Amino acid sequence: MGSDQLAELSRLLYFPTTLMLYLGAAVVYLYALTTTVGRTEDRERGRLAQRIGGVLAVLGITAHVAHEIVRGLAQDRLPLGNMFEVTSLMALVGVVVGLSYLRFVRRRPELNGFVLLGGALVLGMAMLMYAEPGPLMPILDTWWRPFHVSLLVAAMGIFAAAFVFNALYLLRDTAELAVAADRSRPGGGSTVGAAYVGDVSDGAVTEPASGAPDTATGSTGGDEELDPDDERDRAEVLAYHRALRRGVPAVKLALGTFLGTALVSWVWLTTADTWSAGLGRFLTVNLTMVAAALVARWFVPFLPPTATMDGIAHRTTAFAFVLWTVGTIAGAMWAEVSWGRFWGWDPKETGAFLTWIAYAGYLHARATRGVKGRGAAWIGVAAFIVLMGTYLIANYVIVGLHSYADL
Amino acid sequence: MPESALPPQQNPPVRRRRAAPPGPVAFVWESVLMGWRWLARMRTALYLLLALAILSIIATAVPQEPNVPSTVTAWREGEAGPGVGVSRVLDAVGAYDVYGSAIFLAVLLALYISLTACLIPRIKAWVRLVRRSQPPIVRHLGAQDERTDFVTDRSPTEVRAAAAELLGRRRWRVRPHDAHPEDPRPDQVAAEKGLWAREGGSLVFHLSFYVLLAAIVLGQLLTFEGQRGVVEGDPGFRDTAVSYWSYSPGRWFGEGDHQGWRFELERFHVDWVRDPLAPGAGQPTVFRSDVRITPADDEPFDAVIYSNRPLNLDGTRITQLDWGYAPRVVVEVDGEVVHDTFLTPVITDGGFFRGAVKAPAADPDVGLDVFLYPFAPDGEDGRPVPTGAPWADAPLLVFQQYRGDLRLGATQQTINELDVEALTSEGFGALRLGQSLEVEGVTVSFPELRRWVGYQVSSRPQLPFLVLGSGLLVVGLLGSLYAYRRRLWVVTMVDAAAPRTLVTVAGRSFQRPEAFEEEFADLVAELMAATGGAPADPHPGPETPAAVTAVETTR
Repeated sequence: MGSDQLAELSRLLYFPTTLMLYLGAAVVYLYALTTTVGRTEDRERGRLAQRIGGVLAVLGITAHVAHEIVRGLAQDRLPLGNMFEVTSLMALVGVVVGLSYLRFVRRRPELNGFVLLGGALVLGMAMLMYAEPGPLMPILDTWWRPFHVSLLVAAMGIFAAAFVFNALYLLRDTAELAVAADRSRPGGGSTVGAAYVGDVSDGAVTEPASGAPDTATGSTGGDEELDPDDERDRAEVLAYHRALRRGVPAVKLALGTFLGTALVSWVWLTTADTWSAGLGRFLTVNLTMVAAALVARWFVPFLPPTATMDGIAHRTTAFAFVLWTVGTIAGAMWAEVSWGRFWGWDPKETGAFLTWIAYAGYLHARATRGVKGRGAAWIGVAAFIVLMGTYLIANYVIVGLHSYADL
Repeated sequence: MPESALPPQQNPPVRRRRAAPPGPVAFVWESVLMGWRWLARMRTALYLLLALAILSIIATAVPQEPNVPSTVTAWREGEAGPGVGVSRVLDAVGAYDVYGSAIFLAVLLALYISLTACLIPRIKAWVRLVRRSQPPIVRHLGAQDERTDFVTDRSPTEVRAAAAELLGRRRWRVRPHDAHPEDPRPDQVAAEKGLWAREGGSLVFHLSFYVLLAAIVLGQLLTFEGQRGVVEGDPGFRDTAVSYWSYSPGRWFGEGDHQGWRFELERFHVDWVRDPLAPGAGQPTVFRSDVRITPADDEPFDAVIYSNRPLNLDGTRITQLDWGYAPRVVVEVDGEVVHDTFLTPVITDGGFFRGAVKAPAADPDVGLDVFLYPFAPDGEDGRPVPTGAPWADAPLLVFQQYRGDLRLGATQQTINELDVEALTSEGFGALRLGQSLEVEGVTVSFPELRRWVGYQVSSRPQLPFLVLGSGLLVVGLLGSLYAYRRRLWVVTMVDAAAPRTLVTVAGRSFQRPEAFEEEFADLVAELMAATGGAPADPHPGPETPAAVTAVETTR
């Protein structure tokens, strides 16, 4: 097979194969998550869906790995030389590490859907930077490159996974706070309060007996005691779900997501060849993120307890922070070898430094009593904005030694 | 008499307030203390980190003088950027050199003071921890994260010895406790791990910043960096203070610290992907210098420099920075040669190389603005067609000729730029390799084309310290994030009913309880195997409360 055919094959493996498999697996997993509070037959279907999702995810990862290998063969070098390749590998690392972590360490495979959705989003973003396979600039041709770049890419992927869990934590926490505030309002005249038949009869404000998936036992359900086929229990649970969803104002969430994404995606507005192309990309990215946020809002009732997501976000960030640190040091060493200076405040070096500071801030905030919880999660979200912003800006806007965007 | 009725002097306050010295001294002292305490707060450190981040953002958005001086000049003169007025404000606050500005240094200093203020009590506490602390002996196990009971035929002493040996092998700190008859605490082996390592790792991580700072400051003093362009086959240059085009030594780097070798470039290899249809068309594929080094008091030797492989001469590195074509341009005025050297033009965005000829030997001065198109093949009409391709298959040298005053020494100018203020243009010319042309009595010829390479020569004695600092940083980070604090107790009791030993293993995890679960199960299994233990009866004794509730711990 010639390198042209290999290039074509690698493109096909990437799109549609990998992207569709990730998306499909994400949808199936998310469906399975919704059945955990359903009737018995629903749960059976949910378990089946989870198995199907697993198969799709493994197929997707296989296709993705195959894409990377074929692309590597087509251009006879490691596929880590330009933005498309780096972003694509970032998605692969994020998905593989995220799924393995949830499966083997956390043992919460029902959350896989969110990781896969994040992976599909990053994969789609890489499509915006697609470049045909080609050779490498000689300055990049050294063993330092795979070492330095792959560490940073792995860190980026894991930071992305951490961002997903920070965002989910914030969503769930907001919803719970809103429900709690609503319930503790004197008079209890809200529709939420009325939904709890038990509350009304006892005249007390309590958690629904079984419906809240975040009761003190700390497992997904608390729904072990729930009789899935009891209509009254079901109604209670569904009312609680609706209340949780209402706790996150959709318009505010959409607007916030749009503006938050715009903090990063304005780069496309200013750097595309034509104004309309730039606007197209800008809107594509922003609206996709808004859609993802709204989907996540719908899934708020099915999320695990806030402490779990907070913990996952912290562990993943800590791990990625170590990788980022080592990768940045490796980059400084490469710069010393290749450019004769180890640090020159090049845009990308500044970006790496900023990201490091931002995530160091997150880890310190986690260790500080006053800022824990929501404050820390917001810092985590801001740190991811810094990461993506510096990544795009240093490649597209400011031309420096690291600008390999259009190779 | 009740205690509260005692006269006050017999019941002194726990902490006696020091009588403050009156006057301004007290005010200053109190202020310093207040500032110190403010700096020691974590929140302050976060604000300072934020300030550092904002300064870096400014440095990214505004061109920095040490990096791109020409852009800064353009901004100052209003040719680019937001205009002269804004530029003046930027200059006033030091935004053109953020990393050298007083604000940046102040933030950095505050950050280091804050770090110091934060670390001193922590280091004291850590030393106390390491010197004094021991795994605690428990009286009752109470509620722990993990707990298992088993029975064995071995004696309690044997079981405790086995447990101590097992835990010691797994690098726990072990404290055996054999109770006296009147001791209310049961016989046990207490153990803990991770308590020193976690905090110690965090301390090492933070202390590594002092090593990095020291290395950077040392670097400012001892380092040396010089740039120099060399044409292929030229005599090259010697490593002395005066032979570099740009030269920035550290404060403590003297002229005697140069090694005095001679450097010659024999040949420079560069190539590209020439097929316009191939992927990555036009990209360079190789940059390689074949050089000859003559040490000050030794035989010459040959060496090769690649893009990522600088030459290392006893700690002095020679790195390839840039390159260009070096046309030899000969200028004759009235039969007299006034200029005959290789130019070192630099590449421009248009794909051509731009340089200048300055011939003050002629009267009036001759100046040529030179444009070299490496690949400009003849078109169908016989006229050269410049392309952007960088390979020199059909080089074309285009020049614009000036006469007048070059103003050398009067104004700041680079070797590749003419100051045309006092010059008048006399016309254009275009030359193929080997041709010559006469314009207004000046004969310009282009007999030879070579290449030149810009090298950076640098000496950085601080590098080992930077590597040391980075290593400490990573090791400390790993310790502070991945050393988990755990405590464990193995309590043995003699079963009064039967001649056997009741063993209770209990543990507490301060981080990652879910990882401890497995580790604990592992330990218990190994201990049971070592002592021939069997699971305890389903009815626990009075000393073992059944309910073990999960305790939320910080992860």
